[in-house]
Amino acid sequence: MSETEPRRLAVEARNRVRFEEEALDLSDQVYRVARRLVSSREEAEDLMQETYARAFRSWRSYTPGTNLRAWLLRILTNLNIDRGRRRQRAPDEQPLEEGDYFLYNKLERSVSDGTGDEARVVERLSQDDVVNALSAVPHDFRDVLVLVDLGDFTYQDAAQILDIPIGTVMSRLHRGRRILKRELADKVEG
Amino acid sequence: MVGFELDPCAKCEEVMQPFLDRILDDTERAEAERHLQQCGYCARRYRFEESLRRFVRQAALEPMPPELKQKLAALRTPL
Repeated sequence: MSETEPRRLAVEARNRVRFEEEALDLSDQVYRVARRLVSSREEAEDLMQETYARAFRSWRSYTPGTNLRAWLLRILTNLNIDRGRRRQRAPDEQPLEEGDYFLYNKLERSVSDGTGDEARVVERLSQDDVVNALSAVPHDFRDVLVLVDLGDFTYQDAAQILDIPIGTVMSRLHRGRRILKRELADKVEG
Repeated sequence: MVGFELDPCAKCEEVMQPFLDRILDDTERAEAERHLQQCGYCARRYRFEESLRRFVRQAALEPMPPELKQKLAALRTPL
């Protein structure tokens, strides 16, 4: 061992501790995304533990100063896909011609007071409606939807996390949002 | 693809999601804003889409269980 070796080890230990602390500080935000990528709380907890175990093992491959939250989510989405999600049913091919109007029109009709208060129109939906509708969105679309609309990632971040082109992010996001609205519309009576 | 001068409501609908995503260029954003000020229907559609996004975000939020945070911390490399 050279004379500088103890110093090198001390620096490395300090960097590792800093990395671990930063990663743990982000865990609430990572969980927020993880919880909606999978169906159950148990799955989300398992996925979080696998992700953090892997992150702590491979911390050296993280480049300091880059987006750590995106780096963690990249591990998490890869693990989630590796879990055999590929066995899922074929991608959603149902037509979505109604576009974005459909849910709006249906909710508008169901509100009789005619005040035109759009915030109240939305409140016709319950939290369960949203959670169930999200889980009905096929995975490929849901991954993008959850990263961008719930996780506040940019299209570019989502493309890197999922290792897909940015054009694919945009088209999946577009379709995912429509599927979500169709699922929500199915939950509105009338 | 239609423009604001040909069919303003159709164009407004087309750019509504990119508008909410704040990815429109300055010209398109200004055109959309102008149309939203003039058109009651599109203004209601816009407010609806904006409220829906906020509602979905809030409804989908489930705080991390405190025990999980402890379990994650326990995975750290021992000093």
